[in-house]
Amino acid sequence: MTTINREATPEGDNIAGPDQLHSDLHEIWGNPRGLKAFTIVNHTTLGLRFMVTGMAFFLLGGLLAMLVRTQLALPDQDFMSPDIYNQVTTMHGTVMMFLFAIPMLEGLAIYMIPKMIGARDLVCPRLTSLGYWCYLFGGIILSFSLVLEMAPDSGWFMYTPLSSSEYSPGLGSDFWLLGITFVEISALSAGVELVVSILRTRTQGMALHKMPLFAWYILAMALMIVVGFPPLILGSILLELERAVGMPFFEVAGGGDPILWQHLFWLFGHPEVYIIFLPAAGIVSTLIPVFAGRPIVGYGWVVFAITVTGFISFGLWVHHMFTVGIPQLAQAFFSAASMLVAVPTAIQVFVWLATLWLGKPKMKLPMLWIMGFLIIFVCGGLTGVMLALVPFNWQVHDTHFVVAHMHYVLVGGMFFPLIAGLYYWLPLFSGRMPSETLGKWGFWLTFLGFNGTFLIMHWTGLLGMPRRVYSYETGMGWDIFNLLSSMSSFIMSAGIAMVLLDFALHFRFGKPAKHNPWNADTLEWANSMPPSAYNFVSLPKIETRHPLWDDPDLPRTMAEGQHSLAVATHGRREMWGTDPLTGKVREIIHLPGNSWWPLFAAMALAVVCLSLLTRLYPLAGIAVVVAGLFLLRWSWENGAHPKAAPDAEVAPGDPPLHSRTMDGPGLWAMSITLLANGSFFLSYLFGWFYLWTVSPEWRMPDTSPLSLVGLILAGVALTAGAGILEKLVRGLRQGKDEGLAIGMYCISALGFVQVAITLWVLLSADLAVTETSHDAIIMVGLAYSLLHGGLGAVLTLLQGLRVGYGFVGAHAPFEPAVVAQWWRYNLVTFWILVGALAVLPRVIGS
Amino acid sequence: MSMTMQRLHLTHPLHFVIGLTLWCIWFVAVYGGHAVACAVAPPAPEQGVFTLVNAMLLVVSIAAIALLAALTVGCCRMAKRHEGRLRFNATVSAGLYLFSTLGVVFAAMPIMGIPPCL
Amino acid sequence: MRLIIQRLTKQRVNSLGIPLALLAGLLLTGCAGDKSILNPAGQAARDVVMIWWVMLGFGTVVLVLVTAFWLYTFKRKEVTRTPAEERKIARRWIIGGGIVLPVASITALLAFGVPTGQRLLPLPLGEPPEVIEVIGHQWWWEVRYPGAEGGEVVTSNQLIMPAGEPVDFHVTGADVIHAFWVPRLGGKIDMVPGRVNKIRLEADEPAVFGAQCAEFCGAQHAQMQLYVEAVERDEYDAWLAARQTEALSSLAANDQQHETAREAFMTHCASCHRVAGLSFGEEGPDLSDLGSRTSLGAGIMAMEEGAVTHWLKHHQRLKPGNKMPPHGDIETATLESLGAWLETLTP
Repeated sequence: MTTINREATPEGDNIAGPDQLHSDLHEIWGNPRGLKAFTIVNHTTLGLRFMVTGMAFFLLGGLLAMLVRTQLALPDQDFMSPDIYNQVTTMHGTVMMFLFAIPMLEGLAIYMIPKMIGARDLVCPRLTSLGYWCYLFGGIILSFSLVLEMAPDSGWFMYTPLSSSEYSPGLGSDFWLLGITFVEISALSAGVELVVSILRTRTQGMALHKMPLFAWYILAMALMIVVGFPPLILGSILLELERAVGMPFFEVAGGGDPILWQHLFWLFGHPEVYIIFLPAAGIVSTLIPVFAGRPIVGYGWVVFAITVTGFISFGLWVHHMFTVGIPQLAQAFFSAASMLVAVPTAIQVFVWLATLWLGKPKMKLPMLWIMGFLIIFVCGGLTGVMLALVPFNWQVHDTHFVVAHMHYVLVGGMFFPLIAGLYYWLPLFSGRMPSETLGKWGFWLTFLGFNGTFLIMHWTGLLGMPRRVYSYETGMGWDIFNLLSSMSSFIMSAGIAMVLLDFALHFRFGKPAKHNPWNADTLEWANSMPPSAYNFVSLPKIETRHPLWDDPDLPRTMAEGQHSLAVATHGRREMWGTDPLTGKVREIIHLPGNSWWPLFAAMALAVVCLSLLTRLYPLAGIAVVVAGLFLLRWSWENGAHPKAAPDAEVAPGDPPLHSRTMDGPGLWAMSITLLANGSFFLSYLFGWFYLWTVSPEWRMPDTSPLSLVGLILAGVALTAGAGILEKLVRGLRQGKDEGLAIGMYCISALGFVQVAITLWVLLSADLAVTETSHDAIIMVGLAYSLLHGGLGAVLTLLQGLRVGYGFVGAHAPFEPAVVAQWWRYNLVTFWILVGALAVLPRVIGS
Repeated sequence: MSMTMQRLHLTHPLHFVIGLTLWCIWFVAVYGGHAVACAVAPPAPEQGVFTLVNAMLLVVSIAAIALLAALTVGCCRMAKRHEGRLRFNATVSAGLYLFSTLGVVFAAMPIMGIPPCL
Repeated sequence: MRLIIQRLTKQRVNSLGIPLALLAGLLLTGCAGDKSILNPAGQAARDVVMIWWVMLGFGTVVLVLVTAFWLYTFKRKEVTRTPAEERKIARRWIIGGGIVLPVASITALLAFGVPTGQRLLPLPLGEPPEVIEVIGHQWWWEVRYPGAEGGEVVTSNQLIMPAGEPVDFHVTGADVIHAFWVPRLGGKIDMVPGRVNKIRLEADEPAVFGAQCAEFCGAQHAQMQLYVEAVERDEYDAWLAARQTEALSSLAANDQQHETAREAFMTHCASCHRVAGLSFGEEGPDLSDLGSRTSLGAGIMAMEEGAVTHWLKHHQRLKPGNKMPPHGDIETATLESLGAWLETLTP
């Protein structure tokens, strides 16, 4: 192996010339063609795939919206039957939220984040790929229900009991619950890897306070996805179990409570709004300084506002439920919290204003969309504060006023900045400029059409028109306003069509763009246009927040390989792993290459989804096992595996490969995954205590059906296993790996013992899961523990094998530390479960 | 151990999230506490706001306010002592602690005006 | 009263009707609709409208100012400033607009809002208010008067309440979640299976108000409507007295003309519908005083001569998906006699 001085050399005397470097890097990073294009894991390609797929679903959602407006254009229309209308509205909301807004913004983040922070790819490339396939397959399955006329029709919020098997006997709700859960795998995987990428793979010197603001926004969004999605996943699983098996979590007669669904749904649903808004605001905060020609005013203020928004948005969910009959004092807490969120939003608006005020703003096409955003979003924000007021909310809740507010916030807060961002970054995607004329027409038609549709709708709502009605009768004073809304909505779609046409045409006819056409300050413009698969030939050291303003020559010197890691002879995909706080280089991260496993795993998961839909449970069981095997096979190709990094040689003076350290990005990815898992677990505990205290017909047996002795024995096995694992990891930290394989096998055996005893406790409890919600929810808790124990045991078993193969050991000590986290988590949650399910009922009694 | 101490230092960005996490915990505590109190021992509506429930919620809130205010002051002091990155961290943390403090104050106001469990 | 409702429910579509209705809608915004929040008929609703207009005014000022400032930044001349000056200006914007403005606004709003909310609370009163129970079904309303002198009164798809005094509505859902909402009187409340929610409303004067199920409840959510009639206290008491089971029973039993219709009713309808003195069905709406009601099918048709027959023949077209089975297997003559008989059920 050739060694090359990879320190930043200002003179740029690399052994290999820039062209040679480029072709070497391309050899390693480049995308394959033909059938192998399915194996691509590169973030640039997958980001584009996400965005293009998102746009396709946007067109579907838009088409459904047009159908709705056609139906409501005149009173007493029977353009669609009530049944079809309800499917169309449900799918419009579902498609726009789950298949357009989130994946689209994730796609943008996946594309943009590594380029902005000076990395070559996201830190878990195969996970990006898995996420994309899950999104695509889930989206197709869900949309296919429309073709079958079996689409979900209980509203995009799926309130039970309307969505239960009794009142929605068809497959519609199942399509929703299974399809959305499938798509959420994609959101979660993107969330996890974006967090880790932002924290651990920024280029040298990019300390936390020098990060581009967009990265702050995406960091917050990704963390919110990680914490916010699991409640809905839990809710969906519980509701699907109720529908399929009859476990009465939400059914009053069985001791359940339909309001629990609403809590779980909105625990996700409210943060979701901010998950969509934050990246869009990130686009605004990125564009405004560029077009004002000066740094943003109050960087710290913006970080403050992002953090506050991220947290407060989790304290607002009940404001969607002000009419369900929650005590007024409790409502007042949520009302106040909902109003508090106005503060960070106002701070951002005024930071943007101050930046423009102190700069020299230019009204280019992207700025036009930002202006549209401002007007619409401020208006939506103001009605949002109004809605936070409980008495006013009681009046306009579930009317067209709320429909209008929601579209002001979502279209204004997400779609307008998104289009601004796409116009801004189009030259980067394609190397060409869009047409100003078409773009301006598109903007004005969209802007006027939007306000015509939704500004009027506030009024229709105040006149008493409820939401989600398939028709209305004349004489209520609603007719003219609905007609105007419908006409405007068609103007708006003409505008959007024009924008999309502009996007499509510019790839072919756009004028070639000059480099960094907007004179931006962030690193993504140091890419070639369009970017190469590896982004940067060499990775720069960053001194300030505005690398390209400080050194306009930076793109050239980077392309010439004058900075770090400009070497490709080792055949690895490499980039920096840096300290999350200071941006000091800690290790070299080597990334896996293209792989079939993500596609295969996603296909197996699609089979799971389809077989659950068609109630072929044995097939579903087999497919779960197959998916698990694919995922484990994928994890096999890590560390010192021949396909990963069998030889750990690095250039003198360079830090080690991450798989040869104890603190690589995988450890962080596991932590963030466990954060999501913890959110799921907390939601479960919430469900348990909620049903216990609030459910109207809750029935608790006098004695707990769970054997405490059995659970304690299982817990002892688990604790012993986790203890040994900690000891082994401590040894590895000191470079010792004696008895590692044997130790792993022992731990695995202890794990299986725990699983076996827990299973015995579960079976001997003789639970009547279809009769009482008490038994049903206990069942879910123990199943959760079994799954975690089982997976922990399998993972340690594989670690034992990997030690044997030499993939893991004192020379490559990384993986046991990752597995140890899983065990630690399992240990904590197991004992909490024992306390909550078996001990507390014995102490307090029913 | 030294790692932990470093993290607890008021210039560590972990403090960006501690204040608001405390806010969230306080929020869950008063919301959940109120719900449990109403399920176990709802006071008579005639009592108005002068109930044990309101008093308990108020005590919890005042404790949260005191803790958050102390952390705000701590971060402010720390911000003055440092420059550059550490100062940025401490300043933003101070702002977030202040917001959390006032957030508790604001969201706790209804406790003094609305009777529970209705 | 009946005339008003007939005017409201009649679906008049003729060549002149649409343009006229459009014009009326444009001119009479907020006054014409019997469901308009902006046309309050009770204190609670009036408070909310007041708050709305204040918020609208304030919000408009904020929106216009912010937009104006933004646009102005593109027009104004360049000024060179020192970094210290820049910091000062920035801080002024951010603290003034980002903190002071929203904090002042939301504090004022909360101070305004909490007392208004209190008014809707069923707090104890000196004299306990009238209680009316409303139960939502897919897609009709069951209404009960537990406090009626002489025993509980049960009816469906009509709600008569006393005007000029507070009334507590205790609501719940029989199947899925519905919501009870009389826009002109005040806020809505969900009707959740398994629990009883309470809301206090008061109508200033006798009048008819539109009400609507506000929570999406399935195929016919749109056509789950109700007319709420507020009447003077003595009229209310008289109305209740006439609907005591004994009074109604004699109504159904003493009728000799409609023997065949009654038999058909017992064969085809009685298992789901209650008619006092005849049947005890609970699946569908109570029909004991159907003839005296002002609308049919949960507020979707005006009650007039022949309306019941029309409904019985075409109900699946008028309200697709409703839970009453289609009557294709019953002879037209039978349906007509049933319709004629049901219309006579007037106390």
